[in-house]
Amino acid sequence: MRADTGDLLQGTLAILILKALLTGPAHGYAVARWVEATTDDVLRIEEGSLYPALRRLEDNGWVTSEWGLSENNRRARFYTITRTGRAHLRAEATVWFRYAGAVSQVLRSSPALS
Amino acid sequence: MSDKSPRGSPTWRRYVRFWGPNVDADVDDELGFHFDMRVRDYEARGLTAEDARRAAAERFGDIQGIGGALRAHDWRRERGRRRKEYMSDLLNDLRYGLRSFGRAPAFTAVALLTLALGIGATTAIFSVVNTVILRPLPYPEADRIVQVWMDNRRTGLKEDLHSYPNFADLRDQNRVFSEMATYFTSGYNLTTGCRDGECEPQRVRALFSSPDLFRVLRVTPILGRAFTAEEDAPGRDGVVLIGHGLWTRLFARDRNVIGRAVRLNGRERTVIGVLPQSFAFPNRDTEIWVPMALDNDDRQARSSFGFYAVARLESGVEFSRAVSDLDAIGRRLEQQYPTNRDLGVHLVPLPEQVVGRTLRTSLWVMMAAVAAVLLIACANVANLLLSRAAVREREISVRVALGAARTRLIRQLLTESVLLSMLGATLGVAVAWGGLRVLTRIAPTDIPRLDQVRIDPLALAVTLGLAIVTGLTFGLAPALQSSRGAVASVLREAMRGGTGGRRAQRMRRALVAGQIALVVVLLTGAGLLIRSFMHLQRVDLGFRPDHLLTMRFSMPSAKYPTPQATAAFQSTLLERTRQIPGVQGAALVSDIFLSATPNSTNFSIDGRAMTPDERNIEVPVDAVSADYFRVMGIPLRRGRTFTAADNLDAPPVVIVNETMARRLWPNEDALGKRIRYGGEQSTAPLMTIVGVVADMRRTGFDAPVRYETFRPNTQRVLNYLLLVLRTAGDPLTMVAPVRAEFRSVDPEQPVFEIASMDQLLSSMVAQRRFSMALLGIFAALALVLGVVGVYGVTSYLVTQRTREVGVRLALGAQPSEVVGLVVRQGMTVAAIGLVGGLVGALIAGRFMTGLLYGVSPHDFATLAGVTAVIALATLAANWVPALRAAHVDPLTALRSD
Repeated sequence: MRADTGDLLQGTLAILILKALLTGPAHGYAVARWVEATTDDVLRIEEGSLYPALRRLEDNGWVTSEWGLSENNRRARFYTITRTGRAHLRAEATVWFRYAGAVSQVLRSSPALS
Repeated sequence: MSDKSPRGSPTWRRYVRFWGPNVDADVDDELGFHFDMRVRDYEARGLTAEDARRAAAERFGDIQGIGGALRAHDWRRERGRRRKEYMSDLLNDLRYGLRSFGRAPAFTAVALLTLALGIGATTAIFSVVNTVILRPLPYPEADRIVQVWMDNRRTGLKEDLHSYPNFADLRDQNRVFSEMATYFTSGYNLTTGCRDGECEPQRVRALFSSPDLFRVLRVTPILGRAFTAEEDAPGRDGVVLIGHGLWTRLFARDRNVIGRAVRLNGRERTVIGVLPQSFAFPNRDTEIWVPMALDNDDRQARSSFGFYAVARLESGVEFSRAVSDLDAIGRRLEQQYPTNRDLGVHLVPLPEQVVGRTLRTSLWVMMAAVAAVLLIACANVANLLLSRAAVREREISVRVALGAARTRLIRQLLTESVLLSMLGATLGVAVAWGGLRVLTRIAPTDIPRLDQVRIDPLALAVTLGLAIVTGLTFGLAPALQSSRGAVASVLREAMRGGTGGRRAQRMRRALVAGQIALVVVLLTGAGLLIRSFMHLQRVDLGFRPDHLLTMRFSMPSAKYPTPQATAAFQSTLLERTRQIPGVQGAALVSDIFLSATPNSTNFSIDGRAMTPDERNIEVPVDAVSADYFRVMGIPLRRGRTFTAADNLDAPPVVIVNETMARRLWPNEDALGKRIRYGGEQSTAPLMTIVGVVADMRRTGFDAPVRYETFRPNTQRVLNYLLLVLRTAGDPLTMVAPVRAEFRSVDPEQPVFEIASMDQLLSSMVAQRRFSMALLGIFAALALVLGVVGVYGVTSYLVTQRTREVGVRLALGAQPSEVVGLVVRQGMTVAAIGLVGGLVGALIAGRFMTGLLYGVSPHDFATLAGVTAVIALATLAANWVPALRAAHVDPLTALRSD
C-alpha cells in the first residue's frame, strides 16, 4: 500500500516534517527521505507539498531555515525545529493518537470487517 | 555533479546574492539540490544517469509551478522583512536626529523658529490671496460675467452709472451678451412686526433689480423662487428675496418663511425666496433683493443716471469682442441722443470688479513680501545647516571610518533634514492659524470674502516643499562631502578645524548677501508705505475732525408725505438734540464724504454763456442745515450761512465752496451771482449765492477738491440725512442719549451708521493702514531674520578661525586689528547685499506706485533711512562675534584643536 502526501491532511504533513526534524537540522530532501524510509515507503512526500509546508511552518515560527553545506558539499537550506515547534508537535501528536485510537476502536468493534 | 539547476538557470545568478538575499536564486538552488539528490539516489539503485534524471523529473512533477509558488511566497516574506528593517532604521534615525537636535539647542531653536515664521507667514498670506483674489466667485462661470459701466468722459470717471434708457439700449442692441440686468442699491427700514408697541426697526441694504439679475448670475434661491418678469411692475412688486444672514437673524432659518410679510419703509412685502449663504451680490452688506418696478416715466428718463449694469457673455464670445461691440453701440447712442454726448461704455470682468485694483495690488505686494521672508528664512536655515555640517564633519568622518555605510549615513542626514522641516512646518501651521485669526480681525471690513479665509493646503504644501528642499540641499552637504573626499583627508581636515572648504564659504557669503538684499527691498517697501500714510495723516481735510459724532436716519415718505412734515420733524430733532447736555452743536447734512460716484448734476450760470469745459463740470447736490459749517468747523470765507428764514417760501439760495467761486469768477465776487442745476436749457429755479465756504476734502484724502454747492435743508428737503453733533467729551458716549431722543420723536425711526468722525476717517484709510502694518511686520521679521543670518555666519567663521586669530594675537596683533579684519570682511558682504537690494527696491517700487501717496517710489529719504538701518544692523551683527574673537586667549586658541 502507498499513500501520497497529496492525500494527507495538511496538519498531518506538518507533524511528519516536525517529527523528522526532531533528530536534528535537515534539508528538504532528507526530510522526505526520512519519512519514506521510516514508513517503508508507505507514505511518499510530494515535492509540491513539502516545500510549501516548510514555508508555512517557518511562517508560524515552528522551524527556522539556514543555508549550509550538505553531506556532499552542496549548498542546501537546512531546517531546524524551534522550541514552539516542539510544543506544537507534542500537542498535535496527542490529538493524533487519540484520533487514531478512536478510529481503530470503531473499526475493531463487532461485527468484524470481513 | 552538475551545477545546473532543473530550470537550467545560469550559475552567475548565484552571485547576485552578493548584493543581498536573492529569493529567485535561493528557490532554484533549494529545488535543484532536491532534484540532484533524487537523481543520485536513483543512480545508486543502478539506473543509468539518463534514466535517473528522467525518473527524478517524473517523480518531481510540475517543478515550474512549485518554484513559482515558492518564489511568490518568499518575495512576499522578503518585502515584509525589508519594510520592517526600513521602519526600524527610520525609527533609529529619528531618535538619533532628535538627540542631535537636543545636543544643539540653539541651532535647533533658531532653525525651527525661522522655518515656522517663514512657512506660517507665507501660508497665511497666500491663503488670503487665494480666497480673496484667485478663488472664483460663487456664481457658475463667474469669469464670463462683466460689469457694464458708463465711461463718463465729461468727468473722467470711467465707472459711472447708466440712465435706464441707456441700459435698455445696450441690452437690446448688443450681440454679445446672453443676459443683461440693471440694478441699484439703497438702504431700507425693515420692520417684521411690533410687539407691545416696541418696534425693532433695523436698517438693511437693499438691491433693486430687473428680473434678469439672477439669470445673469445663474443663482437660484435655496428656498422659494426668484422674481418673475410680471413682478417687475409698479403695484405687482410687493415681493422680496432675503439673504441667508437675514433669514438666520430674523427668522431663525424657519423653512416656512416663504409667504411671510415684512415691512420695508412702511410698505408690506411678501417673502418669496431665500438666497444661498455664499450669495453676496453686489457685496456682503446687501441683504434684501426687490424688483426694480420702474414706472413708464422712469423708464424714459434719459438724463437720470443711477443704474448699474451686469451682463453674461454669450458662450464663445471673447471679452475683447464684447468691448468692441459695446463701444460701437456707445458711439451710435452718442450721435443719436444729445444727453449721451461724451458718454461711452466701459466693461470690467466681474472678478476684477469685486476685488479692486488697489486691493489686488496690495495683496500681491504682501504676497511678494512674504515670499521674500520665506526666502530669507530658507537662506538662514541653509546657512545654519552648512555651519552645523562643518561642525559635524568630524563626527561623520569618525562614523565613516568606523564602517558606517555611506548610504545609511546619507539616509540619516536626510531623515534629520526632513524631520527639521516637518517640525518647522508644524509650528508654521500654528503660526499661520494664529496669524490668520489676527489678520481677519484687524483687516478692514471691505475686503470681500475675508471671512471665508482658511489655511490653504496648497500654500502649505508649496512652502513645506520649499523648506524640505532647502533642508535636503544643505543638510546633505556633509554626507556628500565625506563621500567625495577620502575619509582620511576629511578626518585630518576636521582635526585641524578646517573652514568647511572654500566653496562652502563662498556659498555662505552669497546667501548672506542675498538675504540682505531682500531685507533692503522689504524695508524700502514698508518705509514707502509708512511715509505715504504719514503724508495722508497730515492732509488738511478742511474741517475739525475731533469730537464729532455722526448717525444716519431715513424718513419713509409713507409716514412723512409732505416736505413740510419732513422739515418739521428735522427741526424738532435738531432742537431737541442740541439741548442734550454735552452736545455743543447739531446739524444735518445729506453726506459728509462722497463716494466715487456721488449723486451729481451739471449746472448753468445766469446771464453768462458756459465754456465747453464748464458744461462738463458736475456738482454734487447737497443739503445742509443752518449750523452745518459751524458744527463741522468749516470756515465761512464770504457772505453768510443759511438761516431759518431760507425756507420753502423764500427765494432759493445756495452756498458754494472756494474752489468753485475762484474758478468760475476769478476776478469777481461770487456773492449775489445766480446759478441753476441742469444745463443751459434747464428750467430749474435760479439760486442766489449767499456765501462761500472753505474747501473740504470730501472724496477722501488723496482725491482733488471738486466744485461744491450746498442748499439749505429747509429748501431742498431730503428724507435721508446724517445728523452731525459736536460734543464736549468723547463723542461715542453721546450715542445712547441721542438715540433716546430719536425714539421720543418717532419710535419707528431706526438710526444707523453711528460713528465718530475719528472712526470714519480711520475706516477711510483702513486698507492703507492694513497694508502698511502688514508690510511693516514682514519687513521687521525680515530684518530680524537677516541679522540673525549675518550674526550666525560671522560667528561661525570666527569660531572656525580661532586658531588663526590665536596665531595673530600671539605674534603681537592688537585685538582691535582682529576686530577690524573680521568686521571688514563681514561688511564687504553686507555692502554687496545692500547695493543689490537698493537696485531691487527701485525696481519693486514701480509696482507699488498705486499704493503710494505723496511719496515717489524712489524716495531718497526712505532709501537713505533703509541704508542706515541696514548698515547699523549688519555692523552690530558683525561686531559682536568679532569682539568675542579678539578677546580669546592666544594659548587656548592655539591649543583648541
